[in-house]
Amino acid sequence: MSTPPSSPARGPFDPPGVEWRGVSPRLVAARLLVVSLWALVPFAAGIVLAVAVTPWCWVLAAAALVGVCWAGWLVPRQVRATGYAERADDLLIRRGIMFRSLVVVPYGRLQYVDVEAGPVAARFRIAQVQLHTASPATDAAVPGLAPDDAARLRDRLAARGEARLAGL
Amino acid sequence: MSAGSQPADGTGLEWRRVHPVTALVRGWTVFAALAVVVAQQSSDDLLAGRGLGVPAHFGTILLGLAAVAVLGLGWSAVSWRCTTYAIDDDSVHLRTGVLFRQQRKARLDRLQAVDVVQPLVARLVGLAELRLEVAGGGDSAIRLGLLRVGETDALRNELLARAAGVRAARAAAAVPAVPPAAAVPGVPPAAAAPERPLLEVSPGRLIWSLVRSGAFVLFVLGALALAAVTAGTRQTVLLVSLLPAMLGILGYAFSRFSREFGFRSAISPDGIRLRHGLLESRAQTIPPGRVQAVRLTQPLLWRDRDWWRVEVNVAGYGRGGQDGESSSVLLPVGSREDAVRTVWLVLPDLGTPDPVDLLDEALAGSGAGPHGRFTVSPRAARWLDPWAWSRDGFAVTGRALLLRGGRLVRRLVLVPHERTQSVGLEQGPLQRRLGLASVLVHSTPGPVAPQVPHLRAADAAALVDAQAARAREARAHDVPERWMAPGPRPTPEDPT
Repeated sequence: MSTPPSSPARGPFDPPGVEWRGVSPRLVAARLLVVSLWALVPFAAGIVLAVAVTPWCWVLAAAALVGVCWAGWLVPRQVRATGYAERADDLLIRRGIMFRSLVVVPYGRLQYVDVEAGPVAARFRIAQVQLHTASPATDAAVPGLAPDDAARLRDRLAARGEARLAGL
Repeated sequence: MSAGSQPADGTGLEWRRVHPVTALVRGWTVFAALAVVVAQQSSDDLLAGRGLGVPAHFGTILLGLAAVAVLGLGWSAVSWRCTTYAIDDDSVHLRTGVLFRQQRKARLDRLQAVDVVQPLVARLVGLAELRLEVAGGGDSAIRLGLLRVGETDALRNELLARAAGVRAARAAAAVPAVPPAAAVPGVPPAAAAPERPLLEVSPGRLIWSLVRSGAFVLFVLGALALAAVTAGTRQTVLLVSLLPAMLGILGYAFSRFSREFGFRSAISPDGIRLRHGLLESRAQTIPPGRVQAVRLTQPLLWRDRDWWRVEVNVAGYGRGGQDGESSSVLLPVGSREDAVRTVWLVLPDLGTPDPVDLLDEALAGSGAGPHGRFTVSPRAARWLDPWAWSRDGFAVTGRALLLRGGRLVRRLVLVPHERTQSVGLEQGPLQRRLGLASVLVHSTPGPVAPQVPHLRAADAAALVDAQAARAREARAHDVPERWMAPGPRPTPEDPT
């Protein structure tokens, strides 16, 4: 289930000595479902308008379809590129293919940790662990964990944070 | 109706009320706003040529105003009765709300800043508000007020002394330095920590700095263009439609002038003291170790005078509107020497043998510098940042990370290692082609967002890794939150 994410050529996003853990492949299905639901609105609207008003509206429906196909190509790769690693003193999260990012969150800076699961995510039995520091700029979330894993990760993070907490 | 104390309740806390005039002063602003609206309406009527309408409406309007004033005052009086505060050794308690009661408790060791704010009206009657900033985000400050000016000062000193952890030591202190308006009955008042004035910004320099700001230049250019167009076309449509925007720019300049007027900074064992304000005056105290990041900026037009502006992130001040904006300024305008001294306020020890030299290089230099202390963007970065690529860079000292950037508007950000929240590394598709990456250091909300764009990818990765380790190391040796607790910290020597 937790397969290590495909490791592209060793670069700045692959610090030495870090063992990455991947996220659940069910995240692909969950994200694609959300994208499809969103695309359904312009798709349906495009068809109705094309039949009723002008054939130009087929463009809208086609665009929605292309969007879904593109997401179908992109999302699995994105999910494979998402990973996290627990080091002795900090948590590393990396994600993205085109726009890649890596964030290092020291346990001692954690103010609180959320486990979130929306209706779609809950259906696919995945949850997201969201980390909060005193900085709103810290954009650190581990999506697509099995609910048990998510709860365990949250507890581990909370315990380590407490042990190392040092004010602001 | 007295500001006296209420009998203690079961918690052993002594609840006190704020000054009764608070109700009047707070109610007054609502009344004034209403009066302005009414005045505007009637002047509109006047302009529309409908005459004054005095006989028909005047009585009704007056009656309405009086009714609103009475209602407003009544409400203020009730809410005044419901507002009480108490302090104990570890925390401040505040109870507010008439229908929705709220009791707020702030721990003193989490205090980020203590401000004494005097709005114009309160100033006229000799009252002030005490604001205790804690890092709760949003509207988390505790506002005690209004109180008499002597009372706010005594209370501030008392709270700072308790927050610093010097209460026990003070029991022996003999001479009370404050008048008998003691903040807490039964406890000898805390003396104000001795302070040493550091800098003062003269009104002349402040005005010049505003005249040389981008907003004012925009205003002048706009005014000239507008005058030319109006004179050329003999049409006033453009003039009338753009006038509000022009006045807006002037208003911005004036509000900045008014906020930063009479700026004075000082250092005391309780931390940094700032005083400023023309209409609304503000006296801030930022205890040691509360500044999360510092930014020095120099707009293009300040360069020939070598003027700098210093702003900080303090958790609690946040980004919030004008309040946050005016509180986060550590030096509105000053020479380079002033700016360096202001940095010394925050970071008395920069962790390098020649701090002034390093700061000079960080402020005005470019490239790696004679000692190779700066790691700068490689040549490849010129495609993404043709102007500033050779200035974009960072240097590391024993105590802080220095992030340099900007060619036209020069910028330097300092982040004490122990204040690093988390570190990020980012790379877009173009950057990847060029072998570059950007580093972000996350700080608490405020005007400063520390980052270095377009570093060599290997440098960026090394910085992220090393900075996480340095932050961890520095936190282990951080100033304690109760900054006076183990014994007075030696006040470092002034560099000048």
